[in-house]
Amino acid sequence: MRAFPAGVVLTAGIALISGGVSVAAPVRGGTLTVGLPYDIDTLNVYATATLGDVESAVIEGLLAPNEHARYEPVLATEVPTLANGGIEFTKHGAAMRVTYHLRPGVTWQDGAPLTSADVKFTWEAVADPHFLAESKDGTQEVESIDTPDDLTVIVNYRSVSPSFASTLFTFGILPRHLLAGKDLNHDPYNDTPLGTGPFMVREFRRGQFVVLDRNPHYWGRDAQGGTLPYLDRIVYKLIPSSNTLGALIRAGEVLLAPRIPFMLAKQLEGTANVELIVGPSLGWARLAFGMKGKSLLRDPVLRRAIAQAINRAALVKAAGGYPQPIRSPVLPVLDELYDPSPEAEVPGYDPVAANQALDAAGYRRGGDGYRSRDGVPLAFGITTQAGEIDGEIAEQIIIAELKAIGIRVAADNKTGIAYRQVRYRGEYDLLYGRWVTAADPVYSVFYGSHGPLNGQGYASAPLDAALERMETLLEPGPRRAASADMQRIFAHDLPSIPLLSNVSIAAKSTRLKNFVINPTNMTDFISVAHWYLEPLPGRAP
Amino acid sequence: MSAAFLLKRLLGAVPLLLAISLLLFVIVHLAPGGPLDVYVDNPSVTPEALRQLRIGYGLDRPLPVQYLLWLKSMLEGAWGYSIRTGRPVTQEIIERLPATLLLGGTALALSLAIALPVGVLTAALRRSGVDRVLTFLSFSGISIPVFWLALMLQLLLSIKLGWLPAAGYETIGASGVRDRLAHLVMPALVLSLATIASWSRFLRSSLIDVLEQDYIRTAFAKGHSFAGVILRHALRNALIPVVTVISLDLASVISGAVITETVFAWPGIGRLFVESMDGRDYPVLMGLMMLGSVALILANLLADLVYAAIDPRIRYE
Repeated sequence: MRAFPAGVVLTAGIALISGGVSVAAPVRGGTLTVGLPYDIDTLNVYATATLGDVESAVIEGLLAPNEHARYEPVLATEVPTLANGGIEFTKHGAAMRVTYHLRPGVTWQDGAPLTSADVKFTWEAVADPHFLAESKDGTQEVESIDTPDDLTVIVNYRSVSPSFASTLFTFGILPRHLLAGKDLNHDPYNDTPLGTGPFMVREFRRGQFVVLDRNPHYWGRDAQGGTLPYLDRIVYKLIPSSNTLGALIRAGEVLLAPRIPFMLAKQLEGTANVELIVGPSLGWARLAFGMKGKSLLRDPVLRRAIAQAINRAALVKAAGGYPQPIRSPVLPVLDELYDPSPEAEVPGYDPVAANQALDAAGYRRGGDGYRSRDGVPLAFGITTQAGEIDGEIAEQIIIAELKAIGIRVAADNKTGIAYRQVRYRGEYDLLYGRWVTAADPVYSVFYGSHGPLNGQGYASAPLDAALERMETLLEPGPRRAASADMQRIFAHDLPSIPLLSNVSIAAKSTRLKNFVINPTNMTDFISVAHWYLEPLPGRAP
Repeated sequence: MSAAFLLKRLLGAVPLLLAISLLLFVIVHLAPGGPLDVYVDNPSVTPEALRQLRIGYGLDRPLPVQYLLWLKSMLEGAWGYSIRTGRPVTQEIIERLPATLLLGGTALALSLAIALPVGVLTAALRRSGVDRVLTFLSFSGISIPVFWLALMLQLLLSIKLGWLPAAGYETIGASGVRDRLAHLVMPALVLSLATIASWSRFLRSSLIDVLEQDYIRTAFAKGHSFAGVILRHALRNALIPVVTVISLDLASVISGAVITETVFAWPGIGRLFVESMDGRDYPVLMGLMMLGSVALILANLLADLVYAAIDPRIRYE
């Protein structure tokens, strides 16, 4: 089951448009101007705190998730599985060995050949404690790497790690011949990275733009055997204000803006020559409960009542109608893990039941309509990331809905680092925020008793056990059963209320073809080699 | 004005800057979160790795020691590396300075060129139709939020009329004065509007005060022309409080304009400050704030020099 088929064209400014994927013959050439709503810190894919929209066009991994959140080979010739022998159990089933065969004939953008030594170097470089990497996912699980020949990589894992494809080598491979012995924290590579991808960095002007040029030696071929990529150049403009981004899209100065806020999408509906592409996203918004210490929110009756007070339809409407309501942290798009049965769902909207439950539990309404019990008022703070417009609007709706059942809630928003710190330490009563997972989601980081992102103080031995099975089993059947168990325990305990399945919305020119949304925590630019621009009438592209 | 005075003032700025740096250092570190908090919720960065990072950046040391180490390297000209980007702080700042100086300088020139005549005109013609119209415009200029005005200008001049680029510093691949000017017009207008409005109001009220003085009446009685009295006798005396206000705004030419730079995607110091603040990038923040402090002190010194130039009674020893 899928929330949205990838690449649904929601709205168009002209009458005749094709979908996201074109069937016409591709046109070569042209410059695609992209608007990114953030400033880029570094172009090192492992060090950046951003999603890597630029890096994905330059640097490739061994595998990459496609528009259906399934892994496809990129620099490897196939995705390792148990069935094809790419994954083997070791240490009597307690660990595993993953073998990749590299695509022959691939060269770095400077002409040097890509070899297994580059893959091994990537692991060593990222795992190096001196390298200040934002993402070191997957480095700790690897025990050693063997490179019997230039095109074979054997990765020996310490344990069974079903999510191996979501990490390390999928983010990108680093060039050993350029970086061996260098200080990766300060190397010029971070401004002008070298990859094997379809585009090469021509210029990175901080706070302004990044220009990528077509890699003439790119290994990729289209279905007819023609060379890729089709575009000659990509210009990423860094536009920190979403209103300005909207103005640039309307003015035709930006031809693609990925992951725009829902509010901007609503404003752009009906704009001439602009399409809004809505695709699934593995992100979901939830209301988390701070349950540390003597928090009143440790009371399951209260958590259930809050869950029943929230009308997801109102949240969806406020978000322009784009996201989908959800009642499980496992999103329907993850059809190999999602359990649609009612027991696996958290309670839905039922304010009457919520009021009755609170009355029965002794939370009495005072003259001002707000409840208290034993002299302790039901009053909480709610935190979301300041300046994140969609979250701030949802927060206001939640405040109003909880007021309706007699709970007083006041906004207590935080910016940037301060928000992350509060979230990490669980220093909140209620927190409205989003998580995005990889195509192979790992939920123990969020809800495991010792999960590094479980700052809220929730701990459940049964849930830990279900998560352990879910995240260490490789066989689809038992893994699905473990996921169903996990969802049922979650729905019963309610450590947080899953509210909306995010959708990813891109605003693009009707001239841009073959663009598809990637629903994972990788970016849409993974498929950029296949995009092309239809020329303006009477002009070259 | 003696060179000794200048030297004295500059030397006097040294302890002031030291005090400012200490205060800023404490305030920056008091803000919730720290630069390594981007890693705290990252499952792959182990507590041990975090500890190593903390040691690497010297963040494990007591705050006074951190301050002294920072001060020492600052005095030696080594401003450290940005924790967010891994690049030298001086490089980060120097890259952003030209854009900020261009925008701030243009806005300053525009403000002076418009605010002074408007202030004189509204004072000289007070309670006339011209005064009322310009006063209305001034209050509008002070009241209209910068981001709203910016957006309206973008809608009108870029989207509707297509005359100017909606945002950015330059057209990629293009160079030349014309392209730079096209990008500069809207942000400079937006940035200068509020200062034009406030400076002209200051000058107006200051000039009206002066125009009621006995010596002005005497000047009129002696038969001087209206313009002559205003420009020769009244304006110089009315400028002193205005110079104070202008000098306070002068420092922002260097420290950047956060909202204008953000709305127009202008790659200046203001945006760098916001990015660094969000990431608690201590080395860059301290560098930027010290730069701003130096600019403020120099602007004050400049104001004192201008006082002496316009009022012969003021002498510095």
